[in-house]
Amino acid sequence: MNRHQDTEDQISPTKRSHHKDQEDGLRQVLQEMEALYEQNQSDVNEAKSEGRAKLIPSIKLRHCCLLRNQRCVTAYLYDRLLRIRALRWEYGSVLPANVRFHMCAEELQWFSQYKKSLASFMRSLGGNEGLDITQDMKPPKSLYIEVRCLKDHGEFEIDDGTVILLKKNSQHFLPRWKCEQLIRQGVLEHVVS
Amino acid sequence: MFIADIRKDFYEVVANQRVVLLVAPDIDALCACKILQALFHCDQIQYTLVPVTGWQELGTAFLEHKEQFRYFVLINCGANVDLLEMLQPDDDSIFFICDTHRPVDVVNVYNDTQIKLLIKQDDDLSVPSYDDIFRDEDEEGEDSGNESDEGSEPSGKRRRFDEGAVERRIERQRAKREWEARRREILFDYEQYEYHGTSAAMMFFELAWVLTKDTKDMLWWAIIGLTDQWVHDKITNMKYVTDIATMQRHVSRHNHRNEDEENSLSIDCMRISFEYDLRLTLYQHWSLYESIYNSCYTSCSFKLWTLNGQKKLQEFLADMGLPLKQVRQKFNSMDMSIKENLRDVIEESSNKYGMKDIRIQTFGVHFGFKNRFLASDMVHATAALLESAEKDDSETDNFIKALDALSRCAKETKFTLQRLNLLTFPLKMSSFFFLLFSLCRSNIDRLHSGIALAKKKLIAIQQTVASCICTNLILSQGPFLYCYLMEGTPDVKLFSKPMALTLLCKYLLKAFVHSTRNKRCKLLPLVMAAPKDVEKGTVIVVGIPPESETSDKKNFFGRAFEKAAESTSSRTLHDHFDTSIIELKTEDRSKFLDALITLLS
Repeated sequence: MNRHQDTEDQISPTKRSHHKDQEDGLRQVLQEMEALYEQNQSDVNEAKSEGRAKLIPSIKLRHCCLLRNQRCVTAYLYDRLLRIRALRWEYGSVLPANVRFHMCAEELQWFSQYKKSLASFMRSLGGNEGLDITQDMKPPKSLYIEVRCLKDHGEFEIDDGTVILLKKNSQHFLPRWKCEQLIRQGVLEHVVS
Repeated sequence: MFIADIRKDFYEVVANQRVVLLVAPDIDALCACKILQALFHCDQIQYTLVPVTGWQELGTAFLEHKEQFRYFVLINCGANVDLLEMLQPDDDSIFFICDTHRPVDVVNVYNDTQIKLLIKQDDDLSVPSYDDIFRDEDEEGEDSGNESDEGSEPSGKRRRFDEGAVERRIERQRAKREWEARRREILFDYEQYEYHGTSAAMMFFELAWVLTKDTKDMLWWAIIGLTDQWVHDKITNMKYVTDIATMQRHVSRHNHRNEDEENSLSIDCMRISFEYDLRLTLYQHWSLYESIYNSCYTSCSFKLWTLNGQKKLQEFLADMGLPLKQVRQKFNSMDMSIKENLRDVIEESSNKYGMKDIRIQTFGVHFGFKNRFLASDMVHATAALLESAEKDDSETDNFIKALDALSRCAKETKFTLQRLNLLTFPLKMSSFFFLLFSLCRSNIDRLHSGIALAKKKLIAIQQTVASCICTNLILSQGPFLYCYLMEGTPDVKLFSKPMALTLLCKYLLKAFVHSTRNKRCKLLPLVMAAPKDVEKGTVIVVGIPPESETSDKKNFFGRAFEKAAESTSSRTLHDHFDTSIIELKTEDRSKFLDALITLLS
């Protein structure tokens, strides 16, 4: 009961750098829930066998705590799920390694299943080829954009097979859809002129 | 070969292709590049822009891109050497060269397949005719054919025929030697002097005009390109005035809109106007006094490095009735009553002091309430940005900054800031703030920072000129004047860059001509050396032609440097696109100079 503090910490905004703390916090909450449940269990047995009605309020209280903890934990896990879903829209189907590090195995599995269902949905739209709805989240102003290379990225292949060499400080005029990924990763910068 | 119709032979050829733009580091090239980029954006021609600072970088960039690209556009580089020999391209690479460097190499002129010159054929070229330089080699075949036939003839006749054949052969060989000697002479005359032709930015603006896709922005860039040629003394006065007249026609065409009370243009729209303005560098962004003090023309006419000269300046200001307090303020804060007739007042007074050309024809731009710039302001600002000697910035960083300063609009900050929201990439705090800061700066801010840098550069030039003249650092070596900037000189880092050093050279020569009494020295050209890289032990050497009113700006130092380096086997690097600028090892300086003196006397 005096450990509601743990759940309070859970609900506060999760920062990825406190990843270890989150895991510990979650574990502590689950331990607390277990402890409360044990106590409740023993009290219920006692109440049943000896008929001591005085124990019933404390049982009810513990039960409420348990329910609240459960709500907090599920809220936290659901929030993580929503963020993971947003990651698919931000990063595309391959997540960078440092993001995957913060996810547990079940979350990764959920992510791959989400990917699959999104992909099958996209394939079902737009006739034979499907439609990639993760592109062009904002209506584009032009087919081609001018980008500037911020770091050496090496060779980059575009749709019709030509290879562009991305060297630092070179500028290129490329199709918008090919550049969006690299802009997100910070390799290219959109130049407005 | 020269392109006759720039639209058909250049633009429509690259219309559905991918091109590489190789751009030299000068303002004219930057402006030309911006115009071409704007045209390519219109027609969605995919391109890759690579800045190149010298021949080596040009070669590297070509090697990197030759697999993927077939069409190369070279801006302000590549015309004055045999490009095919230097780059060894495959047969299907095509080069479009728009370069102001003259003379154009004869191989580039007469190659029909791979080199296309985006230069007007009558642009002051005087290319030698084909027959004078190239000769078909099938006359040799006739001789040997005759000789083999003669084997079956009777001996008497054969002897006579032999004699005839031998005579003819001797005659042919003599003619060939004569032809070759004449060819060498013609080529020597043709390639001896280096000079500049019409601005590349103007060429591309004409292309835009022919396509009727020209905008005011492109016109402004073309004007800046032309002004750059004038500021850095690359073209003659006559040519400048002629080109200004051409630009003036375009400006009036663009301004020809019925502006009246109801249909006035928004204040944010760009307005370009013809100005017959003062030759005082950056005077609208500085105080009038500083501008007069640091402009080459006024400083040399008054001889402001002497006490006498400074007194004369005070007299000049008093003569115009301008109080010192006003004149030392920022120009924008001067009294309106003074600013109203400033140009006429200054012109009148300067006539009295012997400065007949204080006013020059130029253009100014005006957009928004605060932003007024003259073309020369833009040139100085962009040049300062291009050659800023910051430690962290590479030359391509500076190129990008200068390119940005030429655009008018603010950078799209919201779009890129959203991307920064994802804190998964551990950015170090300092680089994060730097990135944020540079994103939030609009391009106008970059231009203003360029103006601040330009002011510092001009002050540094002025001080260096004053100290050089006062300490007699300029020595006459016989056929030319010579000056060496020692390592400890203040601001010597600024002068390790070619454009800044050339500007210093020009001012110094002008100041010297005004200060010396020796009539002969006034007609000499100037060679200047400054330390370029202290660790590697190199100096940068620049040569400029003599100073005169009617100078045709033809520079022979390119060839002279090459020959002097060869004869003394000094370790030189002729990497710059202007052949009159080279890098030299400090130890070889004296023997190189001696060779140069003997060569030119």
